[in-house]
Amino acid sequence: MSTQLQINSRRVRVDSAAETPLLWVLRDELGMTGTKYGCGVGLCGACTVHVGNDPARACITPVGALARQQVRTIEGLEQDRIGRALQGAWIANDVPQCGYCQCGQLMSAAVLLRTTPKPSDTDITQAMAGNICRCGTYDRIRAAIHEAARALSV
Amino acid sequence: MSTTTPAARASQTLPPAAHGLSRRQFGLAAGSAVLTVAIPLGAQTPPQPAAPAPAARPPVNRAPGSFIRIGTDGVVTFLLPTCEMGQGIHTAQAMILAEELGADWTRVRTAMPEQVTPDYRLPMGQQRSVGSFGVRFWHDPLRRAAAQTRELLTLAAAERLSVPPASLNAEDGHIIHAASGRRVPFGDLVQAASVLPVPQTPVLRPAEQRKLTGKTMRRIDTPDKVTGRALYAVDMKAPGMLHGAVRLSPVFRAEVESMDPASVRGMPGVVAVVPVPNGAVIVARSWWQAKQAADKLTIRFKATPNDRVSTPELDERMRAALDGGTLPAALQRGDMDAAFRAPHRVVEADYAVPLLAHACMEPINCMAQAGPDRLDLWTGTQAQDILLRECGAAGGYKPEQVYFHNAYLGGGFGRKTQAESAIQAMLASRAVGGRPVKVLWSRADDMQQGQYRQTMMCRMRAALDADGRIQGLRVRVAGPQMGRDNGIPLANGVVDGMSLTGIIDMQYQIPHMLVDHAVVPMPMALSPWRSIANSFTGFFMEAFINECAAAAGKDPLEFRRQHLQGRPRMLAVLDRVAQSAGWGSPAPAGVARGLAVVESYGSPVAQVVEARLRDGHVKVEKVHVAIDCGRAINPGQVESQMSGGVVDALSVALRAKITIKDGRAEQSSFGDYQILRMGEEPQVLTHIVEIGSPLGGVGEPGVPPLAPALAAAASILSGKQVRRLPLADAGLA
Repeated sequence: MSTQLQINSRRVRVDSAAETPLLWVLRDELGMTGTKYGCGVGLCGACTVHVGNDPARACITPVGALARQQVRTIEGLEQDRIGRALQGAWIANDVPQCGYCQCGQLMSAAVLLRTTPKPSDTDITQAMAGNICRCGTYDRIRAAIHEAARALSV
Repeated sequence: MSTTTPAARASQTLPPAAHGLSRRQFGLAAGSAVLTVAIPLGAQTPPQPAAPAPAARPPVNRAPGSFIRIGTDGVVTFLLPTCEMGQGIHTAQAMILAEELGADWTRVRTAMPEQVTPDYRLPMGQQRSVGSFGVRFWHDPLRRAAAQTRELLTLAAAERLSVPPASLNAEDGHIIHAASGRRVPFGDLVQAASVLPVPQTPVLRPAEQRKLTGKTMRRIDTPDKVTGRALYAVDMKAPGMLHGAVRLSPVFRAEVESMDPASVRGMPGVVAVVPVPNGAVIVARSWWQAKQAADKLTIRFKATPNDRVSTPELDERMRAALDGGTLPAALQRGDMDAAFRAPHRVVEADYAVPLLAHACMEPINCMAQAGPDRLDLWTGTQAQDILLRECGAAGGYKPEQVYFHNAYLGGGFGRKTQAESAIQAMLASRAVGGRPVKVLWSRADDMQQGQYRQTMMCRMRAALDADGRIQGLRVRVAGPQMGRDNGIPLANGVVDGMSLTGIIDMQYQIPHMLVDHAVVPMPMALSPWRSIANSFTGFFMEAFINECAAAAGKDPLEFRRQHLQGRPRMLAVLDRVAQSAGWGSPAPAGVARGLAVVESYGSPVAQVVEARLRDGHVKVEKVHVAIDCGRAINPGQVESQMSGGVVDALSVALRAKITIKDGRAEQSSFGDYQILRMGEEPQVLTHIVEIGSPLGGVGEPGVPPLAPALAAAASILSGKQVRRLPLADAGLA
């Protein structure tokens, strides 16, 4: 049985069983390794992708539930203006340390800026609290989100 | 100067390892347009058996070609001895090399060596990324290698231009003859330079020629880390690769009694069930399929003496050990009896810290391809020499047969010094005819399979004189000997450095001192955790110093100054952090301050924590940090390591701990092992103190002062003396 998906605006047919989490379809079947495995139970946010306009944890999202849905992964983040602004701010602020969680952080931040173009610190805390960073880069993540928001408003 | 893209792209031009040169590409590097020969200047030392770690070993004459390759296209590739696990070390080491060499920063690439050779050894003889050695140890050897290479290129250019070498300088990837304005690119000189004898006494650039070090440079790995292109060990791919999930004994060190591979035969994708130490690897076409089968596998483990072990019981053993009789001294100074004969005041306190997991965001994994006479390991390891030794022993490979493709590490913190996943992947690859197998542990495996930071208790007893000075200090720690468990011999037969560093070498001037270690063996495997012993000895010592100061009726800063005369580095960071925090002026309403200072890995770090109570919980709002790491190579990354160290230490001081019940860990993921999340991070203000000290470490020294500084603030806020971590145990977090 195969499932048809739209990943980063590209039509993709995958053969993994319907109950397979999207994370493993991306990583092991499609070879898209930017989406990371951190916990497998939706607690750390390392696997955050977008399904439609919403953030989703790929590790607990069965691929069978995504037929004909639009999925965006980190590999497609630079396709939109918000994504590029965030990536630029992440580089300018030298945000990542080990970097393993950062793809998920960026995907969560992109949803935040889409819905809240001028986020407050509280908005950022609420939107990003599901993404753990073991290196403790939260201060620079926060600064980079504010900076991207400023860049997008001009 | 652009600092980012080309070096970061090395990972794309050197597949399949993220930034290791594979054998096929060894000596070849992809240039911008064509394949060109990358020439090592100075022969590499061949692989040699992994040596034990004797106390002293002869100095290594490191070949510059082990660190620097230059292509005829002028692309410079640095082979770096330290892995990149977040500490920014590839950028710092590349800065040191590029500056001394005179390389064009926009055209340098980074890679890691494939084999274990003496050239990449630390002073103790290991090829590892530990001990915050990345800059403090490697600065000088890397600089020397770059100076040797620069002199080779200069000699080749002098010959070509028929000018004296002294009339030439190296800048931006060229050898320049300023008098005539002629410039020869490095790439045009490497063929001629590579046959010249390597200069053994190269002249180092003077400080005024520094162009890179000392300035904040953007990290070379960031562009790939924000696009998903950066490759970690878990992202490695190889043709014909299969995936492995593990099913390991939940009780520490239990062996397999029986297992029934038929219980998973026929499950989708399953290829093999491979016995490994303490369990099995299930090999399948995808990791998800392997994991489903691992959960279903019928497997029984033998009973062990550890089946009933629990945290309360281990705590009881440690408490009893604190009360026990005379032990051999780990440190003895002066005359304890005299110090306690007529003290003005005696201060006593017991402290305790729990087991901790490392919880790297990237769970433990390794890919192996085990051929008859060659083992390839795609991994993110902090300790190539340990993997070489253990895989060599388990798989019968000679040192020169083992190849490392060391990728980025999604966190290390000391955990990735161990070889379990490499051995599992090697055995699994053998079982499937030498196909590459990537073994990945689940988060629960990662959290429950041990290799913890040790749990420890400590009893402190001090005799103060009438001036409030500590005359005598009696320290007993109780707990395991993590160093000995990891094969490190005890100094003088009693001193386990991995348990006692931070006490036996502490900086306070105390005339009479006695330290001993009541050993309480533990069943679980233990491994270094960021700052090793200092992560708890820093807490014991500094929390107690704060209590002594209170007992003496002195300000904690003044009390420290009084005991640190003749320690200018400690005093300098204390003064700087006090200035930053406005120490001595009243704290804002509701805010309590706590102070601590610890020297570890060659760098004293002082911290002032500012915290308040919110709904009965301690909320840290601000942490002032001052570090003396000698000279900051990349100051922005020193700041990152300080704020990261604070968050790391705060996570475990507030809430995270591992507890044991029936011989197994009770925690399994980030729900019950709670790491700090966005919104809980304090503001961290870092000050780098430069007073001409020798180079010190940066990755670890930010951790130890946080817990005692926090404990001091929490004790003021709660009115209860905090002597046990995490604070959540006292309902304060």
